[in-house]
Amino acid sequence: MDIGAVKIQIESDFQNIGSAVSLEELRLKYLGRKGIIAQLTGSIPGLKKEERAAFGQAVNALKKRAVSLIEEKEKSFADSLNGEGAVSRPADIGLPGITQELGHLHPLTRVIDEICAIFMRIGFSVVEGPEIESEYNNFTALNIPLEHPSRDAFDTFYLNNRLLLRSHTSPVQIRAMKAHKPPLAIVVPGRVYRPDAVDASHSFMFHQIEGFMVDKSIKFSDLKGALEILAKAVFGQEIKMRFRPHFFPFTEPSAEVDIRCIICNGKGCSVCGRKGWLEILGAGMIHPAVFKHVGYDPKKYTGFAFGLGIERIAMLKYGINDIRLFFENDLRFLRQF
Amino acid sequence: MKVTYNWLKEFVRIDLAAEALAERLTMAGLEVVALQKQAGDFVFEIEVTSNRPDCLSIIGIAREVAAITNKKIRAYSVERRAHSKGRLYAKRYPLNANILKINIEDKKGCPLYTAKIIKDVKVGPSPAWLKERLELVGCRSINNVVDITNYLLFERGQPLHAFDLDRLAQNAAAEIYVRRAKEQEKIVTIDGEERLLDKGILVIADKGGPVAIAGIMGGNDTQVSDGTRNILLEAAVFNPITVRQARQKLKLESDSAYRFERGIDWGAVGPASACAAELIRTLAQGECILAKSSGQARAKQKSIRLSVADTNKILGTKISPARIKKILIGLGFKVAATGRDSFIAGVPSHRQDIKAQIDLVEETARIHGFDKIPTTLPLLVPHSLRPGKRELVSALKNMLAGLGLSEAITYGLVDKELLNGFMLPDEPEPIGILNPLSREQEVLRPHLVPSIAARIGYNLNHQQEYVNIFELAKVFSSSASGPKEELMLGIALCGTKAHLLGQGLVKERFGLLHLKGIVEVLFERLGVGSCAFHAKENAASIGIYAGTERTGEIFILRKELLERLDIKNKEVVAAELYLDRLLAHARPAKTFVAPPKYPGITRDISVVLSREVPIKKVLEAALERGRPLLCSMKVADYYRGSQIPPGNIGLTISCFYRSGERTLSDAEVNPVHSLICRLLEEVFSAKLR
Repeated sequence: MDIGAVKIQIESDFQNIGSAVSLEELRLKYLGRKGIIAQLTGSIPGLKKEERAAFGQAVNALKKRAVSLIEEKEKSFADSLNGEGAVSRPADIGLPGITQELGHLHPLTRVIDEICAIFMRIGFSVVEGPEIESEYNNFTALNIPLEHPSRDAFDTFYLNNRLLLRSHTSPVQIRAMKAHKPPLAIVVPGRVYRPDAVDASHSFMFHQIEGFMVDKSIKFSDLKGALEILAKAVFGQEIKMRFRPHFFPFTEPSAEVDIRCIICNGKGCSVCGRKGWLEILGAGMIHPAVFKHVGYDPKKYTGFAFGLGIERIAMLKYGINDIRLFFENDLRFLRQF
Repeated sequence: MKVTYNWLKEFVRIDLAAEALAERLTMAGLEVVALQKQAGDFVFEIEVTSNRPDCLSIIGIAREVAAITNKKIRAYSVERRAHSKGRLYAKRYPLNANILKINIEDKKGCPLYTAKIIKDVKVGPSPAWLKERLELVGCRSINNVVDITNYLLFERGQPLHAFDLDRLAQNAAAEIYVRRAKEQEKIVTIDGEERLLDKGILVIADKGGPVAIAGIMGGNDTQVSDGTRNILLEAAVFNPITVRQARQKLKLESDSAYRFERGIDWGAVGPASACAAELIRTLAQGECILAKSSGQARAKQKSIRLSVADTNKILGTKISPARIKKILIGLGFKVAATGRDSFIAGVPSHRQDIKAQIDLVEETARIHGFDKIPTTLPLLVPHSLRPGKRELVSALKNMLAGLGLSEAITYGLVDKELLNGFMLPDEPEPIGILNPLSREQEVLRPHLVPSIAARIGYNLNHQQEYVNIFELAKVFSSSASGPKEELMLGIALCGTKAHLLGQGLVKERFGLLHLKGIVEVLFERLGVGSCAFHAKENAASIGIYAGTERTGEIFILRKELLERLDIKNKEVVAAELYLDRLLAHARPAKTFVAPPKYPGITRDISVVLSREVPIKKVLEAALERGRPLLCSMKVADYYRGSQIPPGNIGLTISCFYRSGERTLSDAEVNPVHSLICRLLEEVFSAKLR
């Protein structure tokens, strides 16, 4: 056997192996009991005396080289697979990455967080209130008298004749104003309830965000500015909006705010009811009667307030067409957010 | 409210096309929700807000059109149509005033009642123009007399009612009583339904009993029919609250009730009645022989002061006094200046909604145009209120998502049945809702787990192999001081999750220890010092404790519950944590401890231990024995299987020894470690392996 040829063979064999399995094969081929090195050693006695020493040294060098090549390869396999028994797997980048699966926050939580964050950036605080409310906070203090048709817009679940499930987040205005003196800049996210039969656009429980600000010189123009920040942050800098006079018992002047339909861009489609505009919120200057209920002097203070439905915003933002999806909690839905 | 373009034009000149008019009305607060070309006319469907009953009429919308487009309103359109000029209000009907007596017994319920007696009417079909108009605004034609009353309702916003005079009980004179109904009194209304009345309901009655429910609907017996010869035409003012309460009680809606409930224009009573009489004369040949009224002839006139400076301060505008004056005059206010900066505005009778200066500010802004008000930014004085729980709650949600759970949002109201099997032994009844629409809205939930477990059933039935979800929401319970609401975290896990890891596929069936792991991480991250789990005796649930306070429960759902929730061949583990109780223990602030200077030594012990022995006790006892060199003990591995005798568990416990003063030697650790081994063998009967 030609030592030179074996030497070249070893180098190329080790060069070309790709797995620990083939490394083991090579180890047997060269260093096994009947391997090439053993055969070469076994052939020494048959050599001429003067050749034996040089041949022996060459075989030893070859053996050393094989051992070191095996060690080197083992180490490199271990490194590439990060050790621990995984040595038999090829590190193919096309295989799935190894990770922890993360859960998903509900899309309504995402929208609430986004809107709260917008207002917190401009100095508002977030306040929350109870879902069980008094008739007084939910209606009377907000200038919605008993037996007035304006109550018809607020169908309400009652626990008894004094307590109810809040039908909007506005009672938190009353709580916050009673607890703090102006200046105030507050946003209130929360769940609200109204007796409604459930269908694609109605739910007996939904979410609102209320925002309000009270100080000595808050103006209607400030309300326009604050809501423009909101609309642009949520729907993009290019969004067009308009303020339309409306009626709410707890604000005056009152407005409904529309954005240019994000589906048809104003041309008229089924989502905007061919109007080209989408109503997104109600707003206005806090009614002096409300200030009287909380003990603020309406001659001294003015303020604005607005309220919006989170489901509606989320439906527009993500193109969701059925409000029931929010409460079905289908993981195939939740995992998209 | 529907109005037509041509009908409006009878009261105001309109130079705008229908679409442009719709846009202008919308931007002045009368939102046009639909516009349709129909029968050579345009029908506008307008959403009239509850503060503007004056706009529930053609003339009301026409007044708005006039104000927006700077035109004058024409007052009497019907006259022109009837080809009769003037004289309507001057005309007197002096004949034999004794043939009608009006008795108002409830002056609060009916401040004004007027009636006309019209003789020799020829009841028959209405002319085409009248039928068409009514149809365009959504009203069915009945006969000429009834149609005329409806026509005036839509045109003037004044509900009218015509009785068949000869069917009213009368002797020498017809007698009308406006009174409260008696208990158990009944009336059959024109829709053919018998209505049971009570003392709260105002009726129009003759001697024999009720002939109409005041302001809502007339009676069947006295309605105008083909055989009617003589009529009594009613035009009255009824109290909005009286009408509203009766309408709600009787569940009886009508165009008339809708208007009375919102408040009608006292000023319209006379003109509407006169116009109706005139139309009846032209279209049904009836001759009015008597007009009578009882009660207060007109509502009190209000005058309100408006400051120009206040207006501009509230709006953030610079609208001139002249412009404000013009706007108010255009809306029908009588305006007098009281100095350079303010006006006194006399409120027209149809604007009962105007009560204070702010109402005039709104009128000014509305007609001036919201789009002309500038956009500014509020001067914000930073005044940060304490963030409360929200930030911690938000952090918690993110932690849970980081642990692989998805957030569910379920209804706060539930079917009481859903709670069966979840209520704890001494728990009060859930709080009921007085007026649920369905069983799903019956009670306020005292637990989250039933709702989220139901969502697990839903998801398993939609091809999910595993469901791991949480919800953060209020739960409700009754207490001595009334209803109580508390913020709760609910977690539920179910199914088998497959992870593809480096060593291959690992299938993991969610169980109690997964739930425990999640809870422990939350406690650790919130800085709640100790987290303990204790099973209550004879109870299916395990308590979750922060220190000694029970802050929540772990539920392992029983088989019958799983079946009810449509969960087949799977186990559900769930937890509820009362967040307020938990957060009271939270110490988010961190204290720094220097990292140890000297290395430690780990020694593992493998033992076989009876499963009766609580592992927590073993670790605590060992730690106690091994102090101070033994710093921590933890379960490094556990095993149950063929090599372990039944009823036992194989454990590998890692003991970590370290000193804060020096590097430990084997000679120091060995004796302590032997103590630990002996403790395990002697006290806990563990067998060393």
